[in-house]
Formats: sequence, structure tokens, C-alpha cells
Amino acid sequence: MGLSSKRTGIPTYEHPDRLSDNPEGDLRAYEVFVQTERGKPHTHCGSVDAADDAMALQFAREHYGRDQACVQVWVCPRDAMIRTDYDKDLVFRLTDQSYRFAKGYNVGAKWREFRAQRDYEDYRKEDIKEHF
Amino acid sequence: MSVSAGDNIKLDWERQEDPQRLAAFEARIDAGELVEADDWMPQNYRVGMLRMAEHHANSEIVGALPEGEWITRAPSLKRKLALIAKVQDEVGHGQMLYRVSQDLGKPRDAMLRDLCTGRTKYHNVFNYPAPTWADVAMIQWLVDGAAIMNQKSLADGSYGPYVRTMRRINMEEAFHFKSGEDMVLTLMSGTPRQRRDTQAAFDRWWMPCLMFFGPPDKDSTKTSPFMTWRIKTLTNDTLRQRFVDRFAPAAIDLGLEIKTKQRDASGAIVSDDLVPDELIVHDEASGHYGFTQPDWDEFNRVIRGNGPLNRERVGLRRFSYEQGAWVRRAVLGQTCGLPLAN
Ligand SMILES: [Fe+2]
Ligand SMILES: [Fe+2]
Repeated sequence: MGLSSKRTGIPTYEHPDRLSDNPEGDLRAYEVFVQTERGKPHTHCGSVDAADDAMALQFAREHYGRDQACVQVWVCPRDAMIRTDYDKDLVFRLTDQSYRFAKGYNVGAKWREFRAQRDYEDYRKEDIKEHF
Repeated sequence: MSVSAGDNIKLDWERQEDPQRLAAFEARIDAGELVEADDWMPQNYRVGMLRMAEHHANSEIVGALPEGEWITRAPSLKRKLALIAKVQDEVGHGQMLYRVSQDLGKPRDAMLRDLCTGRTKYHNVFNYPAPTWADVAMIQWLVDGAAIMNQKSLADGSYGPYVRTMRRINMEEAFHFKSGEDMVLTLMSGTPRQRRDTQAAFDRWWMPCLMFFGPPDKDSTKTSPFMTWRIKTLTNDTLRQRFVDRFAPAAIDLGLEIKTKQRDASGAIVSDDLVPDELIVHDEASGHYGFTQPDWDEFNRVIRGNGPLNRERVGLRRFSYEQGAWVRRAVLGQTCGLPLAN
């Protein structure tokens, strides 16, 4: 059947649907953050399972740090992260908060208005000077 | 004796969900919002998503086996480096996807064990052998090409952690596919024997790739909850047609002949011998290529465990799972001994 079926040392199992030993239990979940370039923010990219911090960092480097540009990896145990609740905590109010953003201030229009008004005043002064 | 921890994770279409929550959930999906791991979700959404992510994870892990065998026999240092990187990528994809699946409710250990004991499946395509280097090229070109097509559609899905993993994975798949295309081009511009090997490898992989997208759509496919919840975003037949439209003209360009199993006048398959697929014609009106359906009986045989290499693939996975048990137990601080000799 070709070379791959000639691989040796694969045992055949008496009970292929059963394993003899018991489950081992899971490891701890860590969240992974990578920085693609110095000076750029670290962004969340996924998570890994590990028994301890050193193993988590090693796995994170292998899975998230090697295949794409990356200058630094952070890991943090998931259960150590404190977070808000999507439903219960309103993190960002949905009411008009335009006053807290630069784009909430339309100074361009104000400048145009201001200049038009100033030009008009100048014109009026000249006009008055000429006639009186 | 072990019972899978996944046994109670089953689809249950009788289940009644809170109608208000369900309506709010579906409205979010309609609006294109992503569902996060902590969000409320219908139980069948959770189970359906878990099954798909787990099947995907299994496929990445088993998918690394046929190519992994070729690392020691790669024809040049550059090809060897690329193959090692590719195999590492696939195993990494599997690890990321097991992590996504865990958060949907199935312990990782249960998933690894279910794969070893045949309780869960992986893509059928990995039950076929890769007897020559041209098969390695063909796997990277055709199978990774099919995987990209599938995964691009899954990146438009609704489950945030899976969607983000797809986006990341797809960047790496692009390298696999390009490197496969590069190898196929090299082989097809090589000696007559290289071209012959490549055609033979193409013959081995074309039909399994058509099957890769799953059985033909039923009438209910488009309205199934998995489509409305955007666990899947395109049907099997749509993806299969996309694959043919992309790869049939490329194969023809390369001088490869697309073949299918020999059939009689009624369309029944009469032999496993291959003949040119007469339906591979570009239809101006629809803009699509025609093609002959693969042998769906073979698909069903392979999926039930009777493919050319099902036993070897699962056996090798189990062998390494059992041989590695003492390492995992040591890491977990449990008592352990060396594995029993088989
Ligand atoms: Fe992959
Ligand atoms: Fe791949």
C-alpha cells in the first residue's frame, strides 16, 4: 500500500475502543498576547494549556510566536485575569459621548464661520470709513 | 476502562431554550456579531460548534502524520526545512483548536482519548497513503488548497474564538499551499518520471479531495440550524464547486489529466480503474466547471474505519499517546511508571 503503511512498530490493539489507563485531568488555561513589533501594543491572540508558567511561556512561543512576526510573548493564567461581564457591566455607555472625543468637535466649520464673520467686520469697517 | 467525558455532550433537538434569550442570540448572529465563550448560547449551538472544532483539531493532528513520514526523505535541505515548518504548523493548529474546543465544555484529555479509541473522527482524506514525494507535493497543493477553501468560509462564522483561530491559521495555510504549488510546478517541469509520479499522485488525491467537503447537500442543508447560526457558512456542494473551479483549470494548465472511476451507462461504478473525467468542461453560461462526483460508497466505507490506513493512523496516535503518558503524569505531579511494553 505504499511506504506509509510499512511504518514499523505500530502495535495492533486487542481493544481498539478502550484505553487501559485512566484520564489524567487537564492543565491550566493561560491567555497569550503577542507584540508583532517593538513599540506596538500587545494583542491577545489565543490561549494555551500548561502545567506551570514556564511551560505556558514555552508553548505560547511555539504556537503563537514562531509562525508569524513576533518580538515578545506574554502569558497570564486565565483565572488570574479580572474582567467585566458583557451583560452586567456597561463598560462603554451607549449614550452620546461625543464630547469626550476629538471628532466630537467640529472646529473646521467654526473656523470657516469665524473667518467669514471677521472678513465681514473688516469689510464693514472699511465701508464705514469710506462713506463717513 | 474509560468512559469518554464527551459522552454527555450530545445534540438534542427536543430541548426547549428560553425563547427570549434564543431570539436575542439569533438577532446578534444576524447582525454579524461574534459569540464569545462566556456568552449565553443554545446548547445545540455549543455542541455543534464543539463537534466541528474538535473534528478540525483531530484533522490537524492526524493530517501531520502522512507528511511527517517524509521529513527524513525530503529531496533537499530547503524542502526539508519547509516540510518541518509545515508539519509543526499543523500540530500547532491542532493544539489551538483543542484549546478552543475545551472552552466549549469538553476536557482536552477526553478529546485526545476519544481520538485514540475511534470515538471521534478526523477528515477522511488522511486515511489515504502518501507513497511518493509527489504525494507530499499533492497534499500541500490540493489538500491544503481544499482546507483553505473550507477554512476561509469558516472564518466568516459566528463563534469568536474559532473565527479568530481560523484567521490566524489561514495565514499559515497560505504558506503550505504556495509551497505545494511550487513543488508541483517543479515536478511537472522535471523529468518524464517526475511527471508520471505527479500524475499518479494527482490521481490518488483528486477524488479524496472532492470528498473532503463532505457528502452532497440535502434539501434541508441550507436551512439547517448550523447554517442559520453561522457555525457553517457555505454548504458542502458550494465549497466543492469552488474547489473544482479553482483547481480543474490549474491542473489542466499543468498538463495533468483529471480522472474518475469507470462507470456504466447508468452511471454506476463498474471498476476502480480510472478513466478521464469527461465532465471536466467549463460551462460559459454558469461560469463553472463540470465534474463527476466521487465514489460516495468509498467515502462511507472509509468513514466507518475501513479506509486504506485508518488503523495505522489511529494506531500511531494511540501509540504515541500511551508512550507519552509518563511524561504527562510527571508534569501533572501524578505517580507514573514507564509505559508497559506492548
Ligand atoms: Fe492546518
Ligand atoms: Fe496546512
